[in-house]
Amino acid sequence: MGAGRLVVGLAWRNVRHRPWQALLLLLALSVATTTITLTMALVDVSGRSWERVSQSTNGFHVGAGAEISPDMSPAQLERVRAELARLGDAPGVVAVGGPWRQAQVDAEIHGVPLRLRVQVRDPGSAAVDQPLVTAGHWLDDREGVVLEDGFAAAASLQPGDTITIAGQRVAVRGAALTVSLGPYPTDQPAWVWISAATAARLGTALDEGGYELDLRLADPDQAESFAAAHPEVGDTWQESKSEAVADIEDLAAVFGILAVFVVVLTIGTAVILVAGRMAAQIRQVGTLKAVGVTPGQVTCVLLVEYLAVALLATAVGLAVGGLLTPPLARVTRVLSVYGAQTPPITWPRAATAFAATTAVVVLATVRPALRGVRRSTLRSLASNTRPPHRPGRLSHAITRLPLPLPVWLGLRGANRRRGRFLANTLGLTVGITLLITAVALRTGVDTLRQKGLPPYEPDPISLAASIANQARASSLGFTVAALLIALALINATVAAVFAAHDHARNHAIMRTVGATPAQTVTAFLVAQLTSCLLACGLGIPLGIAFYESSIRGGVLDPIGLSALTYVATILAALALYALISAIPARLLARRPITPQLAYE
Amino acid sequence: MSAVVVRAEGLRRHFRGDGEPVRAVDGVDLVVEQGEAVSIMGPSGCGKSTLLHLLGGLERPDAGTLIVGDQRVDRLSEASWARLRRRTIGFVFQAFHLVDQLTAIENVELPALLVGTSRRAARRRATELLERLGVADRAGHLPDRLSGGQLQRVALGRALINEPLLVLADEPTGNLDSQATGEILQLFAELRDTHQTLVLVTHDPRVAATAERLLSMRDGTIVEDTRLDGGLPRQTLLAQLAGWEA
Repeated sequence: MGAGRLVVGLAWRNVRHRPWQALLLLLALSVATTTITLTMALVDVSGRSWERVSQSTNGFHVGAGAEISPDMSPAQLERVRAELARLGDAPGVVAVGGPWRQAQVDAEIHGVPLRLRVQVRDPGSAAVDQPLVTAGHWLDDREGVVLEDGFAAAASLQPGDTITIAGQRVAVRGAALTVSLGPYPTDQPAWVWISAATAARLGTALDEGGYELDLRLADPDQAESFAAAHPEVGDTWQESKSEAVADIEDLAAVFGILAVFVVVLTIGTAVILVAGRMAAQIRQVGTLKAVGVTPGQVTCVLLVEYLAVALLATAVGLAVGGLLTPPLARVTRVLSVYGAQTPPITWPRAATAFAATTAVVVLATVRPALRGVRRSTLRSLASNTRPPHRPGRLSHAITRLPLPLPVWLGLRGANRRRGRFLANTLGLTVGITLLITAVALRTGVDTLRQKGLPPYEPDPISLAASIANQARASSLGFTVAALLIALALINATVAAVFAAHDHARNHAIMRTVGATPAQTVTAFLVAQLTSCLLACGLGIPLGIAFYESSIRGGVLDPIGLSALTYVATILAALALYALISAIPARLLARRPITPQLAYE
Repeated sequence: MSAVVVRAEGLRRHFRGDGEPVRAVDGVDLVVEQGEAVSIMGPSGCGKSTLLHLLGGLERPDAGTLIVGDQRVDRLSEASWARLRRRTIGFVFQAFHLVDQLTAIENVELPALLVGTSRRAARRRATELLERLGVADRAGHLPDRLSGGQLQRVALGRALINEPLLVLADEPTGNLDSQATGEILQLFAELRDTHQTLVLVTHDPRVAATAERLLSMRDGTIVEDTRLDGGLPRQTLLAQLAGWEA
């Protein structure tokens, strides 16, 4: 009990002693848990939204159809309808909606000619697939049309407006949605529901089409076997749900990749922060050991400190991820239609987020912590820094190169802490990857706007809707990329500041033997820019690959960035990182030499 | 008459803390001639290390003038001091202060490379120095793998590689065991015999005895300036001075 209190007490004092470092770690871990939460919640919320709408509309389990032709007599049409309706008597069917007459007709909206799919509905409530009204009201005995919700939004139509269907002007009564009909513009032509009175006015325009029958089964899981047994059945609720959540699953897959990036970035940040803190705490570790605290207890102190931050980050990530899910989910037409809600926090989601942050913390902490506690107590008390032991082959190779002195010193400096160099490079690589992705996305959207009509977009409204969807997705992409680039910048700043402090003593020594501050700053910049250059080499192909995988199946073209763009990206990244690195290095180079040597 | 290597007049350096300012160096006048070996002794906190740092440009004086060689240096910029140090001044520190990512020989050749000596020439000169100092077999090792005595020999090699006008040594044996101290003392005696201008700060009377002139400091000022090769026997005087340590 006493030892536990000691460990917790020391961990708390460590956090209070360097609060901004703990805050940076908290920030990095929180972004990681937020992304993980978003990824899991998006998949979950899409399915739940579909189910919510399905329940509200007495959603179908199977849908069947029958075609008709203009030359059919009324008696023949009735026969086709009756034959389809008999499917409602099949074993396992508990509720029937329809059959409903439907057809594809010419229409005109705001002077734009386009095709519409109309379905003739009764004024009353259907036992199966009664659309959920989102604006205005449902059809009644009068003439009128209710628009599919996505189409109403894309065409900017509201109750009270009029549209022209098959040459007849019809008043818009409302907008509604259902799971049996696909949302616009994903599903085209757009769907509308008309009253029987309107259908009578349209006359022969509906002659070419068919009937639709929606059924609910006693056992929804039998939908596929029911469809197999009845050839007139076209859709099952499983297929409908799968198509509806396909968009969001793509989005979740992209977020999955982003989550990997964030975790890599967070590990990079955590490694640098923890290593930097360990360097600052070595003397304290020595003191603790000198007064009788065991190496195991010292490791526990460090783990408790970082696990507490991880726990807090999990809570932040779950809360922020939950709040961000609905607006992000609305990016896709599907979820806009089905109405995303804040998902409840579930134990599996919380456990996964905590496990991820714990893994990051343990990975980042254990090695430096164990190395710190294994160091002899006397050496720990004598020095805060951990000097390298062997020059290594790379150092020998660098020495043989005919390089200017500051460059040579810089490369040797980069080789001094290989773990931190690698962590920094990985963090910068993620930043460059996202930068390339964001630039490619911007270029892709601009090209799409300039290029205009893809061949499969039949009218300006659907094109506008598709572009609007793409723009929303792009905005999301830019937002997320900007957030992660910001995180990469935080990571880069942390890395630069800690590296500058780590190199400060050696640079002070170099100054005692005649190196100017400019030479030490140059050496430091060479060390830092080496990792940035390596990150550019890795990040550009990764960015291209990530963009290509993100747009698969979409309307955007493959990446088409010019060589100049890549060169500009590399130069911008190098310039920015040089600026970030130069500030702490110059500040330290301006300090008097003696206090920096006295640190030892 | 020998040329003057260091001339300080009214040199002052005060440190401001929470309370009264600490008068680390408080109006020091000092002349060091070429080929002279000067020891500075005094109780802890008397300002002797600060004076040495002022002479080498590691600290800036608040007041006074300082001339090294024929150049007034008390108002030099950091970069100008660095350029002056690389050619004119060699430092030896108590804590050795070697660049931990460079091997022993790379540490020694660093000042030579900074003045523009070719890689090949710098390596040849560094190798000669390490052989002379008895640590040639440790040339390829990083400082973390060297003993205290070896580290100080490497530091001495680094201080000497550009044949500086002035060598400044701050407690050069402070971190060494008795055997290593003896070896370093021998090296300093050899330096004195080659008429290398040397100013060293020490608590150790044996180290001070390697010089020919002893400056005693108290409260930031030089209170006594004694020639060790005349008057009282060197060891007797040093035994008295050692009483400060009690």
